[in-house]
Amino acid sequence: MEIEGMVVQQPTMGSLKRKSPEESSTSASQPLHDCVHHVSYPHGYTHPSSPPTQTHAEPAKKFPFTLDPFQSQAITCLENGESVMVSAHTSAGKTVVALYAIAMSLRDGQRVIYTSPIKALSNQKYREFKEEFSDVGLMTGDVTIDPNASCLVMTTEIWRSMQYKGSEITREVAWIVFDEVHYMRDRERGVVWEESIVLSPKNSRFVFLSATVPNAKEFADWVAKVHQQPCHVVYTDYRPTPLQHYIFPSGGDGLYLVVDEKGKFREDSFQKSLNALVPATEGDKRKENGKRQKGLVLGRVGEESDIFKMVKMIIQRQYDPVILFSFSKRECELLAMQMAKMDLNGDNEKENIEQIFSSAMDMLSDDDKKLPQVSNMLPLLKRGIGVHHSGLLPILKEVIEILFQEGLIKCLFATETFSIGLNMPAKTVVFTNVRKFDGDKFRWISSGEYIQMSGRAGRRGIDERGICILMVDEKMEPSTTKNMVKGAADCLNSAFHLSYNMILNQMRCEDGDPEKLLRNSFFQFQADRAIPDLEKQIKVLEKERESIFIEEENSLKDYFNLLEQHRNLNKEVRDIVLSPRHCLPFLQPGRLVSLECTSSNEDLTPIFIEDQLTWGLVVNFERVKSVSDDDASVKPEDASYNLDILTRCVVKKDNIGKKSIKIVPLKEVGEPLVVSVPISQVNTISSLRLFIPKDLLPLEARENTLKKVLETLSRFGEKGLPLLDPEEDMKIQSSSYKKASRRIEALESLFEKHEIAKSPLIKQKLKVLQRKQELTAKIKSIKKTLRSSSALAFKDELKARKRVLRRLGYATSDNVVELKGKVACEISSADELTLTELMFNGVFKDIKVEEMVSLLSCLVWQEKIHDAAKPREELDLLFMQLQDIARRVAQLQLECKVEIDVDSFVKSFRPDIMEAVYAWAKGSKFYEIMEITQVFEGSLIRAIRRLEEVLQQLIAAAKSIGETQLEAKFEEAVSMIKRDIVFAASLYL
Amino acid sequence: MRRIQLPLSQTQKVRLQKTLEQLESLSSKVNSDASVIIADSIPVNHEDGVLKGHGTADLNGEVVATVCGVVERVNKLVYVRSLRSRYKPEVGDIVIGRVVEVAQKRWRLDINFNQDAVLMLSSMNMPDGVQRRRTALDELNMRCIFEENDVVCAEVRGFQHDGLHLQARSRKYGKLNRGQLLSVPPYLVKRQKQHFHHLEEFGIDLIIGCNGFIWVGEHIEAKDDMVEDQVSQSDPQVLLHNSVSLEEQERNYTILETRKYICRAANAVRVLSILSFNMTLEIIKGIIDLSLSMNLDIHEMLGSEFCVLVAEKEAERRSSNKKKR
Repeated sequence: MEIEGMVVQQPTMGSLKRKSPEESSTSASQPLHDCVHHVSYPHGYTHPSSPPTQTHAEPAKKFPFTLDPFQSQAITCLENGESVMVSAHTSAGKTVVALYAIAMSLRDGQRVIYTSPIKALSNQKYREFKEEFSDVGLMTGDVTIDPNASCLVMTTEIWRSMQYKGSEITREVAWIVFDEVHYMRDRERGVVWEESIVLSPKNSRFVFLSATVPNAKEFADWVAKVHQQPCHVVYTDYRPTPLQHYIFPSGGDGLYLVVDEKGKFREDSFQKSLNALVPATEGDKRKENGKRQKGLVLGRVGEESDIFKMVKMIIQRQYDPVILFSFSKRECELLAMQMAKMDLNGDNEKENIEQIFSSAMDMLSDDDKKLPQVSNMLPLLKRGIGVHHSGLLPILKEVIEILFQEGLIKCLFATETFSIGLNMPAKTVVFTNVRKFDGDKFRWISSGEYIQMSGRAGRRGIDERGICILMVDEKMEPSTTKNMVKGAADCLNSAFHLSYNMILNQMRCEDGDPEKLLRNSFFQFQADRAIPDLEKQIKVLEKERESIFIEEENSLKDYFNLLEQHRNLNKEVRDIVLSPRHCLPFLQPGRLVSLECTSSNEDLTPIFIEDQLTWGLVVNFERVKSVSDDDASVKPEDASYNLDILTRCVVKKDNIGKKSIKIVPLKEVGEPLVVSVPISQVNTISSLRLFIPKDLLPLEARENTLKKVLETLSRFGEKGLPLLDPEEDMKIQSSSYKKASRRIEALESLFEKHEIAKSPLIKQKLKVLQRKQELTAKIKSIKKTLRSSSALAFKDELKARKRVLRRLGYATSDNVVELKGKVACEISSADELTLTELMFNGVFKDIKVEEMVSLLSCLVWQEKIHDAAKPREELDLLFMQLQDIARRVAQLQLECKVEIDVDSFVKSFRPDIMEAVYAWAKGSKFYEIMEITQVFEGSLIRAIRRLEEVLQQLIAAAKSIGETQLEAKFEEAVSMIKRDIVFAASLYL
Repeated sequence: MRRIQLPLSQTQKVRLQKTLEQLESLSSKVNSDASVIIADSIPVNHEDGVLKGHGTADLNGEVVATVCGVVERVNKLVYVRSLRSRYKPEVGDIVIGRVVEVAQKRWRLDINFNQDAVLMLSSMNMPDGVQRRRTALDELNMRCIFEENDVVCAEVRGFQHDGLHLQARSRKYGKLNRGQLLSVPPYLVKRQKQHFHHLEEFGIDLIIGCNGFIWVGEHIEAKDDMVEDQVSQSDPQVLLHNSVSLEEQERNYTILETRKYICRAANAVRVLSILSFNMTLEIIKGIIDLSLSMNLDIHEMLGSEFCVLVAEKEAERRSSNKKKR
C-alpha cells in the first residue's frame, strides 16, 4: 500500500482529495490553513432570481478572534441560507460554525436543533450553549430540560423518533446541526443518521460537522439530491497546531521522530526506531502465556515498564499534559496502576482537586461515596493521573473531564471514546498499542482512527506543536506504519441496514413508504454513483480482451489448463513438504533452499515457476505472531514461521524514500542481504548445507558466502542440486502426498503428447492467453457488482422483512399496520420483535415487577462476560422463556428468507446482569449490586438507564393496547429502578 | 338482519332480504359467537398471563366486557372491538374534523370522538412553508388559516396531557373546501394504507377519514413541491403572487361537471352508509360507475331500487372474491 504516489489534485474541480502534505509544505506562498469550497446543486436547480432580501449587515454573532478561512467561508454559506457540510479536524474549530448557526436562528426567530451521537456529549454541548445563548433546551433519553426552547440539543436517536412521531418541532426547525456526522459509518447506529437526514423537513437547512472525510463532496451531493437544495462543502486539512509523530519502540528508551511538523516522513529515523525494538525473548513470551497485550502492562521484573519510562520521559521533557490511548478498559486501568509511584501535582493542585472532587461527589449518597471506584480514584487523581473510559461511573467520568480541562490532570489514560466530542486537547497523545480488537480480531489502527485520536494533541494557542507518540511493540511493516501515521482519512460510507421498527414506522404513516426511504438513502446514492464507472470499466476491459488474438486458441487453452493443474498439484505437494512439522527439522542454518524471486509483474502469476527461482541460505527461522493472539493454544507445528535467508537482493528507494527489497537471481546485480520470508515462499529444500560464518554483518562475509553458493550451484550444473526426498529423507507418509505425486506423474506423461508444447513461441503465447483469461474473469466480477448495485438496494430484504411482519401479524398484506405492529413501533431501544412477542405472550403479566425488570435487562445488555454466574432458578426460567421466544422469532425470520444466524441471535440476549438488576429493583445499594457482578460500574449504569428507556417505551405500548394493569406495572418498575447514583444528574447540567 | 330504513316495495324487500342473507353466509362465522354485551364474562380458559385490552375489565379474577362488541384475540391479548360506538382514535389515523373553536395557539376540532381534538398552531405548516417559531402575530392571524366551522383534515398524533392532539404532516393536510362533508358510522371505515384518494376520471378528491367523516371535493393539487417552496421562501414576491392567485381561485367556482361528480360520489357514500357497507375506494368507485352506466340522475341514487341493486352487486362481488380465494 503506497499512499505517497497519490495524485495531488488541484482543489478546483471534481472530487476532493486529502491534500498531500508535501504540497502544502513546498509551496510556501500558500497559507497553511487553506480550505476547499464546493457547492452541490440538485439536478435542474435554478438560482433564485433575486438575491435574498434579508441581508443582515450585522453578523448574528461576533467572535473575539479572527476566523479561519474555512470558518468564515462556512458562515457566509449560512448567511445565504444554504446548507453546509464542514469537514475538518477535531481541533480546527468546527464548533464556531454551529454556534453561528444557532445565533442566526435565534436572531431570526427560528428553531434550531443540534444533534450529537453521544448523550454525554449532548450534556456538554448543552452546557456550552446554555452559557452562550440561554434559550437552550436538552433532550436525551435520560433527561429533558426545557423542550420549548428555541435551540434544542439532543441525540440523533431522539431526533429520529421525533420525526416519526411528528413532533411540532419538525415544523418549526429551520436549521439542523448534525455534529460528528461521520458517525454515519457506524455499523450499528449509522443508519439513524441516514434516516434522520432523509426524514428531515423539506424546508429546513443543515449544518453537518464532520471529521475529515475524503468524500465530503459525495455526501453533499446526496443531501442536495434528497432535499433539493444546494449544499456547500467546506473542507480543510488545517490543524491549528502542527503535529510531530514519534515512535517509541518497546524495550527501547528513546523517541524517534518519524513525521515532522511539515508532514515529512523521516525514513532513516524510522528504520532506526525499528532497529531499537527489543523483541520480547522466548522466555518472556511463554511466561506471558499468550497475553501479548500485557507485555506493556506487566513490565519485566526488576525494571520499569515501558509505560512508566514513557510517562517519566514525557514529564521530564515537559510534554505534559498527555493523553495515553489504549483500546480496552481493563488495560487503561492497569496502565494507570503502574503509575503508582509517580506524583505529578503540587500541594496546591492537590487541594484544588480534592475540593472539586468532593463537591462533585456531594450529590451522591454516603453509601455510594464508599464505592471502591469512587474512593480509589481520588488518590490517583491527586497525583495528577486520571483514567477515562466507558466503564467509569458517569459522574466520575465527568469529574475527570473537568479536572482535565482545568489542567489538574497531567496524565490521562483513556479509551477511544475520549477522542470525540468536546474540545479537550493535550500537548501529547500516546498510543499505547498499535492494534485494536474490533469485535472479532486484532487489527492495525486505521489511519482514520489515528487522525481522530491524534487530533487531541496540541492545544491551540498554548503549544507550538502537538506530539504524537506511537508505542510499537512488534515488528511492523514500514508501509503499515506509514499508512497509519500519514494515511488518508476514512471515507464516509453508508452503513445502512433495515430494521423492523423503521419499516413499521414508515408503513404506519400515510405518506411513508419504506421503499422511498431506501431510494433516498446514502447507500443507494453511493451504489447508483458507482454504476457509470463500472460500465466504463467493463467497456475498456472488453475492448482490451477483443484486441488479443491467439492462433490455435483451443489447443493452447487445453495445454494451459494442463499446466495449471500441474502447478496446483505441485503446490499441493509443496505445501505438504513445507508444512512446519515436516520441514522445520531440516531448516538448520546453512541449508540451501530455492525460493521465488519477487516478481516484477504483480498481477500475473508466472506460468513457469522455474524462471523465477533463485537460491539462498537459511540463517534462522522464527515464529510469526499470530493475529488471534492465542499463541498458547496454537501447537508449534501449526504456527506459521518466517525464515531469515541470505540471498541476493536489490534494494530500491523510490522517489519519496520508501524502501523496497526485491529478491533477484544470484547472478544479477544486487547486494547480499538477509531477508525474512514466509516459509511458503520457499520452493524446494536441497539436501546440502553450507557453512555460514558466525558474523554476517560485514558485507564481505555475506558476499563470500553467496559466492560459495554459486560455486556449489555450478558444480552440480545442469542436473541441479540434489533435493531432499520427501519420502526417504523427510519421512512423509501421508496418503494425500502419495496421491498427489502419482497424479503429477500422470500429468507429465500428458505433456509429452501435446503438440503445441513444441511450438517455439509457447511461452509468449501462454502469457497472452493468461492475460486474456484474466480479463474475462475481471469482467465477470465487475458485471456481478454492477447487477447488484443497479437494483434497489435492500429490496429483497425489505420484501423478506415485510413477510416476517405479516406472518407475525404485525401488518396485513395491504401494508396496514395492525395492533402488534403499533406496539413494535414504540420500541426502539431493544429488539422490537422479541420484546413485542414477549409482551403479547403474557410473559410480563404474572411475574413480579423485579423479575420483569431483571428479564428486560437481558434485552439491553450486550457485553460478553466470561464465566458469569448463572442467575437463580426462577430468573433462569424466565430467561429460558426469552430464549425460546427469541429462537422462534429468529427461526421465522429465517423461513421468510431474512439473513440471520439463529444461534447468534438467541445468544445476543445475555443473562449476565439479571441478578444485579434484580437486586437493584429490590432496592439494594449500588455497592451491593457491584459485589454481585463482575461488570464495570459505568457499563451497568448505562444498561440500567437504557432499561428505563425500554420501560418508557413499554408504557406507551401498554397504553396503546389498553392494558392498564400492565401499564401500571411498567410504571412501578420505572420508579423502582430510577434512583440514586444510577440516575444521578450529569455535572454538566 | 340489519335494520335498514328504506321505503321498499314487496319485491324489493324480498330481494334485499335474500341479498343480506347471502352476505351473512359469506361473512366468516368465527366472530358470531364472540360477540358480547356489557358485563358478559369472556372465557380465557384459566390461561396465565392474559392481557386485558380495550373494552375489558378485571372483575373478581374474571375478564368482563365493558362494551358491546366482538371479542378479538391477539396471542394472549383479549380485547373487545365495540360496534356502533363513537370513533376511537389511534395514532397515525387520518381524520377529518370541523373546527369548533379557535383558542390560544390551537384549534379545537370535532372529530366524532368523545372529546374535542386539539390541533396546535405549531402542528400546522405555515401557509408560506417557512420553518420558524410561531409568533404572537401568527397567533392573531390564526383565523386566516382556519376559522370556526372550517373542515380540516389531519393526522392523529397521540394523547398528550391536555387531550388528543392532531397534526398536519405535509401540505396535503389542512383546510378542505369546495366539497361535501359526509358523516357515516366510524366502524364502516377500515384502516387502510391510503385514505387520500384522487379520482382522476371525475376530477375529485375523496378522503375517507377514519373517524367516519368523509370528504368529497374538487381535486386540489397538493402544493408540496419542494422546489416551489424553495422559491417562495427566498422570494417574497412570488409569495405575494401566490396569495393573489389564491384569492382568484376563491372567486372562480367549481365547474358544474365536477360539482355533479362530487354529488354523485357523496350519494354513493350515503348509499353505503344506508346499507352499512364498508367504505373503500373500490366500492365507492363501483357505485359511481354503476349509477353512470344506468344513466341515473344523482337524486335517484338514493332511491330504494338503486340501494337494493347496490346490495346485490356487493353480494355478488364478495362471493366472487371468496371464490377467487
